Order: sequence, then C-alpha cells, then structure tokens
Amino acid sequence: MSPSLETFSNCFQGLLPAQLFTCSLDGVPNAAYLSHVEYVDAEHVALSFQFFNKSRRNIAENPRALVNVIDPDTGQGWSLQLLYERSEISGALFDRMALRIEAIASYCGLKGVFKLRAADVYRVLSIAPLAEECGSPRGGVSQHAAGLDPVFTVRALQDLSNRINEADSLESLVDSILAGLEESFGFRNTMILVPSEQEGVLVTIASRGYPENGVGAEVRTGEGIVGMVAEARKPIRISGLMRGMLYALAMSKAANLPETTLRQRVPLPGLPNPESQLGVPLLVRGELVGVLCLESEIPYRFHEEDKKSIELLGSYLAIAIQNMQLQERAGDVGDPAAPERTPVANPPLSSEPGSTATPREVTYYATDETILVDGEYLIRGLPANVLWRLLNIRESTGREEFTNRELRLDKSLKLPEWKDNLESRLLLLRRRLEQKCPDIRIVPRARGRFALEARGRVRLTTQP
Amino acid sequence: MIDGALASFLEEGLSIHIGARDSRLQPSGARAAAVMVASDGREMVVYVPDLAASRILPDLEANGQVAVSFGRPVDDRACQVKGVVTSIRKAEPAERAVITAQWQGFMRQLELIGIPSDLALGWANWPAVAVRIRVTAVFEQTPGPLAGTPIA
Repeated sequence: MSPSLETFSNCFQGLLPAQLFTCSLDGVPNAAYLSHVEYVDAEHVALSFQFFNKSRRNIAENPRALVNVIDPDTGQGWSLQLLYERSEISGALFDRMALRIEAIASYCGLKGVFKLRAADVYRVLSIAPLAEECGSPRGGVSQHAAGLDPVFTVRALQDLSNRINEADSLESLVDSILAGLEESFGFRNTMILVPSEQEGVLVTIASRGYPENGVGAEVRTGEGIVGMVAEARKPIRISGLMRGMLYALAMSKAANLPETTLRQRVPLPGLPNPESQLGVPLLVRGELVGVLCLESEIPYRFHEEDKKSIELLGSYLAIAIQNMQLQERAGDVGDPAAPERTPVANPPLSSEPGSTATPREVTYYATDETILVDGEYLIRGLPANVLWRLLNIRESTGREEFTNRELRLDKSLKLPEWKDNLESRLLLLRRRLEQKCPDIRIVPRARGRFALEARGRVRLTTQP
Repeated sequence: MIDGALASFLEEGLSIHIGARDSRLQPSGARAAAVMVASDGREMVVYVPDLAASRILPDLEANGQVAVSFGRPVDDRACQVKGVVTSIRKAEPAERAVITAQWQGFMRQLELIGIPSDLALGWANWPAVAVRIRVTAVFEQTPGPLAGTPIA
C-alpha cells in the first residue's frame, strides 16, 4: 500500500465532506456524504455510524467500500478502497469520534442529541490519487492564509519557557503564556479557564486577541469545546467548525428539533466566526488545573503537529500554573521578608480625574453570593464574598492593606483547606474590577499582600 | 419523477458524485461536474470529467447501475438519484457553458463555507463525457434520521 496512511491525517479533518460509495448485494450502488473519517492506525480508518442508513445496510451485506477524500492543504483528491472489519461501541477510538460529534453539537446547543452508534473500522486496501481532483501548490486552505506555517521551533519554545520563568505571579504567568503563544507561535486568539469553586464550572482568567477580555465568563463542564475538554480531559481539535455546525444544524432540522442559534449561551470571549478550535486540558497528575483554548477564523489552522505540540506544551503550562499557585500560597505569610513583586504601574487613584463622582453603589446579594455595582453585574461566588469582606473591613476600620493569609484564615469566607485556588480568584476579581469598576481596584504589594483602593465614596448595601 | 423544483436544485451548482460498481460488487466513484435534468424529469445527463471517466466508465458500461449524489455545502441539503445508464457519449462543445455555470455555482458554495476556490484550481470539469441515465428512484439524503426516505 503506497503512499502510507499516516500521511493522510490532513484529509480526515472533515473540512470538505468525504464521499462514501457502497453497493448492495443485489448490485445497486450507493453514493453518500460522510461527515468524518478517522485515522485508526497504519492500515485502518473508521467511519462514524450515526444512523441506520443505506450505506450501513449495504456494508452489512457487502463489506467493500470506497471513500474519496480531499487534502485541504493541496486540494488533491484521494481514493481509499476499504473493507469493513468491525464496529466498536466503546474504547478510545469510539470515545474520540463521539467527543468530536458532541463538541460540535454542543457548540450549536445540541449536545446529547446526536449519538455515535459505532465507530466502523475498515481495512484500507489501497490509496490512489484522483486524476480529476488534482492538487494545486497554491490551492490549500492553510496556504490561503499567508505566513501561518506551524512554528513549533526550539527557539519559540525557548522563548515561551523564558517568559514562564520570568513570571512572578499567577497573573503575569497566564498573561505571558498567552503573549508567548501569539508572539512566538502565531496563535492570536487564546484563553485560559480554570475550575471555579463551583463544581462543574470553569471560569476565564485570561484571554488574548478579543475586543472584550471576557474574564469571569463561565463555562459548564460539557458545554462547548472548553467544557468538553474539561469533561473528557482530552484535547479536542475541530477544523471547519462552520461545516460541522451546518451539518449538525441540518440534522437537527431534519429531526424537527427546536430551533437553536449558533451562539453559545455563555458569553465567553470568542471570534464571531471561528473555523478552527483547539482545546487542551491542563493536567497535572490527572488533576485539571485549567483549559487552554485556541481558535482561528481559518478553517484548517491547527495541524496534527500543532495539536501534538500544544498537548505537550499543555503539560508544561499546567505544571507552571500549579507551581505558581502553590508558590503564591506558600509565600502568602504577608511578612515583610516576602519578596517584592514587580512594581505595579497604576497611578494612585486619587490623581485620576473624577474622584468626586457620585458614590458607587455596591450591592451584595447574599442568597446568590453576587455583587452588583450601580446595578450592573460584577462577580459572584467566592471572589464576590472576598470583595464584600474587604469592602466591609475597609469601611469599618479604614484599613486598605490585606494579606492572602488573613483571607485564608477568615472562616466567614469558607475557603477549602486544601487547594483553595485563592490566587486565581483574586486575579479574577482584580480583572473584573479593572473591566467593570475601575474606581475600585486591587493592587498587589508583595507576594501574598495587596491593597484595596477605592476612588470616591462607596456605599455598601446587602440584599437577601 | 423529478419535478421542476427538485430539478432546479440539482442544476444550481452542487457537489455532485457519481457511483458505480464492478462485477465483484466493488464500488467505484468520482466527482461529476454538472447535470441536466430532462424536461419530463425521467432522465438526466451527468457530466463526468474525462480524467475520471477511465475509472468509472467500464463499470457503467458493463452493468449500467448508477447512483448520483448531490450536496449543497452551505446547508448540507442533499439527495441521491438512482438509475440505469442508457447511453454514454462525449460532451458537445455546446454543453460546456452549462457545465461551467454549474461548476462556478459549486465554487461559490465552497467559498460560502470558507473554502477558497483556489483549492479546486486543479479539479477538472472539461472535457467531459455525458452519461445519460433513466431515473429509477430519488432519495432524501440531508444528514439526519430522514436520510434514505424516497422523495420521488
């Protein structure tokens, strides 16, 4: 068999639908579109079996099949002669294929609607180029977007590694990771989410390349590509997302399902028309530290080597993030010997215009553990409780300097004793304030120490 | 068999594939460039690029069994025509305009789903052979549970 099947992974991204030809035992041919061909090993591919259609019935009678695919990098068509061998209804292959279907369906708000019945495994008997679909050196989808070759060079990795080593806080670490992914690797639209204190919810702590920074945006486990990555703890790469969504929506219409929109319910930062997405779980010894999501408007942005490299990188980033969290926790004694942080460039609030503005109305809703500022949502959960506590201490005592340690010892905040992720909650709070209420801000002073500064008057109100 | 509305859909410039099989029931298949549905809806001509013809014509000539699938990339509306080949001839120069128009429609569809038409710069649509088919059945093929339902 020549050329080898391994070199065809590009063709199996579903960017252009593959074509499946089968034939019934009584000799009637059948031609049908296929959403997805999956590489299995050097001699096998798998086709998704979602519906009991004619192709599936034909295969049950006559195991011979032909699949035509197109290489999105060159436009070259290839013909694969196949022989059906078996169907898998569990295991790694099945999970991989089901995850892709679920991720796309979830993006359309159709999660759980379309099930993969089986991964049908075929032996590849031969591969031949299609004469009528000849490749063109400038025809590829990825070539179409100039200058986007994979850039996982040693130099780029060294650059990112240096940035990570120089980071002195969780905030500078996550920012430097995203800056490095853009400047050294060319990935312009990225975000990092971490598990929130609420079970099954991830929250955005950093993003890059979007008009809205989206910090604080939440995703439930299983929702969209980020939620699916968190649920499965496996990387997910989707190319030709629009095609996949159109396919899913066509299925939903055919099944008379309720109308849905292409928009996610959770206002995550995101491109208006993402075509490629790559989500990578940040895992340390099986523990989910976060999810890194990259996206692009180019249909075939993330190649196989990108996925593998980012996956490797993900382990490194996960360790770096977890180490920083542990380091910040270990250094949060708040004593004067704690190392000074990089000075914060913000000018004093009192020097900014508008200091005498009308008081900020900060309202805490106890039942929902949510804070609204001047009637607008700011934050909820643990970061809201922390802010409320700080504002109340400041109001009753006039104190503006605080330590992470005192927050940890404050029983009213009910922080978990182990792995409270306080630093990421404070980072989230700090960024939400910057975004929604710059009159009140949290300014790091030293490791484990920070100030709560407020311009003008702040009026605190509690609601049930 | 094929009404006017369905004929208009089939001729608007879609992704078209023609399938056949040999005596051992091994399937063969290729991309087609265009179709023309006869006014009575009982026949159609499928234009297959010469470059693909050598692969599929022997099967079509040997047993006449044929399947033609049609898909509109932008919404995945799709259907499949089954039939029997009645004649095969070289496409006439006068037919080229129809092929070109449908091909351009297909290219526009690719652009609409984010695939640059440059991708298809090396794809052939001319010269072509004209495969005349007597339509025996038409099936819905839009992905989903209704795929496979007869529609004509």
